[in-house]
Amino acid sequence: MASPNDIKKGTVIRLNGELWVVIEFQRVSPGKGSSFVRTRVKNIRSGKIVEQNFKSAESLEFEDVQYKKMQYLYSDGQLYTFMDNQSYEQVQLSASDIGDDVKYFKEGLEVTIIMHGETPLTVQLPKKIQYQIVSAPPAVKGDTSGNVTKEVELDNGLKVRAPIFIKEGEQVMVNTETGEYTERVSE
Amino acid sequence: MNIQTIALERQTVADTIRQFFRARDYVEVDTPILVRSPGMEPNLMPFETELVDERGIVHPGGLITSPEYSMKKLLGRGMERIFTIAPVFRNGEELGGTHQPEFRMLEWYRQGADYQACMDETEALVRAVGAAFSRTFPAFRRLRVRDLFLEYVGVDLDTVDATGLRVACGDRGLRTDPSDTESDLFYRLFLSFVEPRLGPDPVFVYDYPKHQASLSQLTDDGKYGQRFELYVDGLELCNGFTELTDVAEQRKRFLEEAAERRDLGKTVFPLDEEFLSLLPRIRQPAYGNALGVERLHMVATGKKSIEDVLLFPASQLFGTK
Repeated sequence: MASPNDIKKGTVIRLNGELWVVIEFQRVSPGKGSSFVRTRVKNIRSGKIVEQNFKSAESLEFEDVQYKKMQYLYSDGQLYTFMDNQSYEQVQLSASDIGDDVKYFKEGLEVTIIMHGETPLTVQLPKKIQYQIVSAPPAVKGDTSGNVTKEVELDNGLKVRAPIFIKEGEQVMVNTETGEYTERVSE
Repeated sequence: MNIQTIALERQTVADTIRQFFRARDYVEVDTPILVRSPGMEPNLMPFETELVDERGIVHPGGLITSPEYSMKKLLGRGMERIFTIAPVFRNGEELGGTHQPEFRMLEWYRQGADYQACMDETEALVRAVGAAFSRTFPAFRRLRVRDLFLEYVGVDLDTVDATGLRVACGDRGLRTDPSDTESDLFYRLFLSFVEPRLGPDPVFVYDYPKHQASLSQLTDDGKYGQRFELYVDGLELCNGFTELTDVAEQRKRFLEEAAERRDLGKTVFPLDEEFLSLLPRIRQPAYGNALGVERLHMVATGKKSIEDVLLFPASQLFGTK
């Protein structure tokens, strides 16, 4: 049995017979009383995300899983194929295994695949991914007060809001936890 | 973040706090960091150490988790209005985010006024430190825990017991554990249904159920502790009380906490008898508040991580990052 204090991102927990992967966690200590670990967990089968809180003194069942660095190769629309660049081993995940994260995919992306024995369970994205801007409308004159942003399109088709100085062809970083632009990458 | 900027900001925060309390006739006091009995609170893990005297005799001790006992001893010895900015230590907690094993605690105490007056003063302090960084705040709301539970959980804390809280968790799909106490069940509901609804604007949450009274005086009906917490930007900034001065009740709560520490397999520190003997000499009512200085700094400057307001984050000192 494991302690909620050992929870990390990517930990797989067995709850009521189902497997859940931790996507966010935070420890909370109230002014009085036991401390807790607040988590957001994703159901590996259904992709459903729920909040789940654990008291630090509870015992939990962690599933023994492996984390493998792989590269995203391609998709046929249903299945997504990844490859281990060292062993050339390939695994496939369905769109529902991946869930909402699929929008961040682009060819060649380095990800972590959570493996349960020989079975891939789900994918963990890097915290930030670099993209090229393929479309950015020019800034509107006079519109420069405060934190003005505009919608830009990235090289994988994803649209995000970015500062008005961002131009076509530039490289930017996007945070995959918030879905937000974080910074411009200079060459 | 530029180290010079952080250093200057920290100086501004500390200067503003000191000016604020001096203008209100408070005396700044120094309290010991190394003590014989660092605290009874069952869920805190003090750093334990040993003092070796000149004859080589070893005395167990620890680093304070709060300067509270020393501050109250000073009240018992006749000080009327005191404040301190003390380094405090808590082991077994996160290194980053909103936690540090070593941080600074601002504690202040005043005889002759209760926790409602303390909320007024806390609001004025937060506004003063915010103003030093040009941050202004909307009105500070004050919400009773009972009203929050009625609205967001649909449970009346006036009448509910541990069984009722367990049923309420079950009905709302919250997991519970056989080891859960009444306080744990309360907190599961608070964490899932109340805290997320508090929002980013400043809000005092007050009158916690008796099992969460800590060192506070009870309300007239005996059901709640006169205790408050202030949340700003969703961050818990402080914990204030109308202080308990009933020595029999205090001794009882200490012994309960000592038993709980024993059950959890934690070190049971000796009761601080000097503290207990001075407690009845504190004039009623008296209030006290404990506020995390780094968190106040974060709120005033809009920082999201405590590491952005520190010169020496613990994760760097201990190489955990």
